[in-house]
Amino acid sequence: MIILSRWGLGRPIIGSIASTRHPCRQSSRRYATKVKAAKCEEEWETVIGLEIHAQLKTGRKLFSPASTSYGETPNTNVDLHDAAFPGTLPFLDLQAVRLSLITALALGCKINTRSTFDRKHYFYHDIPASYQITQHYNPLARDGKLRITQGENKAQRTFDVGIHQLQIEQDTAKSQTVGDNVLVDLNRAGTGLMEIVTKPDMRSAEEAGAFVRKLQGLLRRLGSGDGDMEKGNLRVDVNVSVHRHGMPFGTRCEIKNINSVRFLQAAIESERRRHISHYLTTPSIPLQQETRGLNELTLETFSLRSKEEAMDYRYMPDSNLPAIAIDPAYLEKLKAELPEMPWQVVERLTAAYNLQKRDVETLIGLDEYHFEGIRYYEEVVGNDSKIAKKAMNWIVHEVLGQIGKGKSIAKWSSTLISAGTLREMIIMIEEGKITGTNGKQIVKYLINHSGSNPDVKPDNQAQSIPLDQILRDLDIEVSDSSSSSSTAGDLEDLCQQAIQNQPKSVNDYKKGNEKVLMRLVGEAMKLSKGRANAQRVKEELVDLLKQ
Amino acid sequence: MRVTKRHLSSLSGSLKPRVSETQPTPYSWINNATPSSSTGRLAGKSIAIKDNISYQAASTSCSSSILQDYNPPYTASCVQALVAEGAHIAGQTKMDEFGMGSQTTHLPSNYTPVHIPASPRPDEPPRSAGGSSGGSAAAVAEGSCWAALGTDTGGSVRLPASYCGIVGLKPSYGMISRRGVVAYADSLDCVGVLGRDIQTVEEVFNVIPRPDQGDMTCVSSSSRSAAAQILDNHLPEKGIEGLRIGLPREIAQRTSSALLEYLKSQGASIEEVSLPSIRRALPAYYVLASAEASSNLARFGGGWYGSKNDQASGKRSESGLERRKRIRTEGFGKEVKKRLLAGTWALSADEFDNTYLKALQLRHLLREEYQALFRIPHPLLNVERRRQKQKQAGEGLDVILHPTAIRTAPPLNTREDRKTKGKGMEEYDQDLLTVPASLAGLPSMSVPAETGSDGWPLGVSLTSQWGMEGLIFRLGRVMEDWSRNQ
Repeated sequence: MIILSRWGLGRPIIGSIASTRHPCRQSSRRYATKVKAAKCEEEWETVIGLEIHAQLKTGRKLFSPASTSYGETPNTNVDLHDAAFPGTLPFLDLQAVRLSLITALALGCKINTRSTFDRKHYFYHDIPASYQITQHYNPLARDGKLRITQGENKAQRTFDVGIHQLQIEQDTAKSQTVGDNVLVDLNRAGTGLMEIVTKPDMRSAEEAGAFVRKLQGLLRRLGSGDGDMEKGNLRVDVNVSVHRHGMPFGTRCEIKNINSVRFLQAAIESERRRHISHYLTTPSIPLQQETRGLNELTLETFSLRSKEEAMDYRYMPDSNLPAIAIDPAYLEKLKAELPEMPWQVVERLTAAYNLQKRDVETLIGLDEYHFEGIRYYEEVVGNDSKIAKKAMNWIVHEVLGQIGKGKSIAKWSSTLISAGTLREMIIMIEEGKITGTNGKQIVKYLINHSGSNPDVKPDNQAQSIPLDQILRDLDIEVSDSSSSSSTAGDLEDLCQQAIQNQPKSVNDYKKGNEKVLMRLVGEAMKLSKGRANAQRVKEELVDLLKQ
Repeated sequence: MRVTKRHLSSLSGSLKPRVSETQPTPYSWINNATPSSSTGRLAGKSIAIKDNISYQAASTSCSSSILQDYNPPYTASCVQALVAEGAHIAGQTKMDEFGMGSQTTHLPSNYTPVHIPASPRPDEPPRSAGGSSGGSAAAVAEGSCWAALGTDTGGSVRLPASYCGIVGLKPSYGMISRRGVVAYADSLDCVGVLGRDIQTVEEVFNVIPRPDQGDMTCVSSSSRSAAAQILDNHLPEKGIEGLRIGLPREIAQRTSSALLEYLKSQGASIEEVSLPSIRRALPAYYVLASAEASSNLARFGGGWYGSKNDQASGKRSESGLERRKRIRTEGFGKEVKKRLLAGTWALSADEFDNTYLKALQLRHLLREEYQALFRIPHPLLNVERRRQKQKQAGEGLDVILHPTAIRTAPPLNTREDRKTKGKGMEEYDQDLLTVPASLAGLPSMSVPAETGSDGWPLGVSLTSQWGMEGLIFRLGRVMEDWSRNQ
């Protein structure tokens, strides 16, 4: 369990005086001066670190019972505490702590045995209390990493992005200027955020993009956040510096509040160009350390404030909130319950069944939160490695292909075609009892009769129809003689008959018109009442026609 | 001519709460509603509350211009508890603005002053009722209410109780919910109870402490049961027989030897003990309280609530920041501004380590020194550590006793006096003996016991282990017996 330690009062909330002289966060954001020999053939190296603010998906605010919202009437989801009314006090949502903990664990972080909340002070209309509750001195977790593999988002190497720390904090209100007025909406005020600070381990815009994309997948898989940058539920600040290979790191600039991966990459590129141009044209003047914004139209960064204008946030422990101590047994339990991560399932399935990475990713994309697509696929396969590749083709190419087609309004779900039915169908095809063409008919039929088709009542869902009934409905004949139905002898007879029935086609083929072969295949299929394997019929015909 | 104590007691409760624009009065607001017949443990009792405790029916202004006309949209948990037990809220009482002060003199200019209601002799001019809960203390002392709630951050209940000759309890930190209490310094603020005798204070105290979802520092029922169990183990079977009392050597003010002899005769043992860090408690307190105040009061002027000044849109050309500056400059009094500036400075990046953190360290030291003196284990320690503590505790104290204040109530300074003296250091010194228990989060109660050489009352403070209010009440009653026979 999460233990809230009230026996903290009067005890120095901050570890020791010595350790806070150099608050860890500041010192380690200062980039190390050691540089690995880079193999990049370009002269300049870009160093990138990220600060990510990800909204916690708990449905309520971090310290008040008001619900979180998006796109609702302004100032409707507001508790007195969110508006900082006198006498109101914060009450920590333990669900937010749990979600932050599993995120930290999934990032391989060390969990602080005793983490505390602090206040960061500034006067601005987006913060009614004039301070934000955050974790400055003792964050929830530190020292994690996330591996980026070569090829992800066009990253050119496999490397680890170090996680400096992960902390819980409040989001601010939204404000906008309309004419002379500044309008403030407190709906977002007090929403729980995770701030995830990386080490300066990325070296290109693509690598930074790869990290953000991977983190989005991780958050969704854990259910700790939706990672939706468009809605502002995940926002990125990026630190960029540029230096010549082998030289110490350059001056870094921070670009704030980026809300898409495309803008992130654009901001890094713009900043990189700006720094290089500065070093080339005015090498005698040091580059100013500053905070910048991104103009989303020109994709150029612009200055917000310089280091000299930086605010003193007067961080102070918040004595309204007890320290969070995590029971090691509870932590072990959370660790054991961590779900399989997207990259782990890709690795496992590609290794086990020799599948295409892209196809596994398509299955993940069907449901990034609960992996319904993966679970469905594995149910269809049923540990039957013989049909593993076939099952993937049927799901990704036939089922999803049909869904994407024309008038179909069906959406994929695991009940659209029950895993049992699909599995049964694939086995029948493999055993030669029905043909692939039959399979396609069945898939089309089931999708058109699915529960998500408004013409069909829910109690008439496709999944409840047994396969044999579907076969009857579609007038598909099942060959009883199992695999022997397509033995070489039968197939040869069938093809001979087809050749006899279509002498003109045979003539044309022999004259060099290879296209007419399909006419012969069609004849053979008709003769077999659709049961024959079209591919094998084609091969047999080619053999026979050579003679 | 001043009302004397004898005269006042002959009025015995016929005084009614009142507000006035010309005469001194403890009240800033009175409840004109007729008390309805009620049931409960406080049925028919009239209780005043300090002006920083939210009450939906009243404006809760903390005696500050910045919150004039602020009507809280909810009622504080502690007041809800009183009302639920049938109490009638008599009114709201004046205080030093936001609790910052020791004499209830830091008031908006349109407020009439608060005095100790009676002088020892008819020819004596009125004196300060103490602060910051001076209004609550004066209201109780004059008898216009049965009891009152105050708040105590560094002595704001105990000091006025001592000056006004009544009982004032600052309970253990975390015992009473702070939801609805406008914060001065979160880690120190406690809701306190003022009454004319211990019976009254105990009756009110029995009602308000309970766990609260609205305040995470308010302790859980299991911690309360643990404390009750420990109290049960340490309450003497009879009177104060076997009770161990300590007198801190570092406190120069002495308690009357007659009182100490009496306590001994009742079976208590008394010894001198040492709390070396107590000397540095006052500066540590002012750093921490001011730092927390600078944070807590930063919300005022933001435009979501507050005075008409705050709500008004101001000049058209005014920016948000300018507007906030104007409201805060006009809305806060001089003492509040002084402490906010001092607190802001203590938290600034350059000063933090050497000022705020040092004060925090001193607080920690003091707390440890208190814990080393008590033989009663701290109920909030886990069971393992409690057991260790009990093993070591062959010897040790139950209660620490010393005068509440360095002196009797000071004569009221006129506004001119304050201008010439200016520094206000003397006012800060008044808290010298009350801040240690605040910093340590321990329960402490001022009981009227003595009369100073000038004839004005002086209280004695009893401080015990966290959650041991019951032990303090027990010893307090014996002291009341002694006072009665003086």
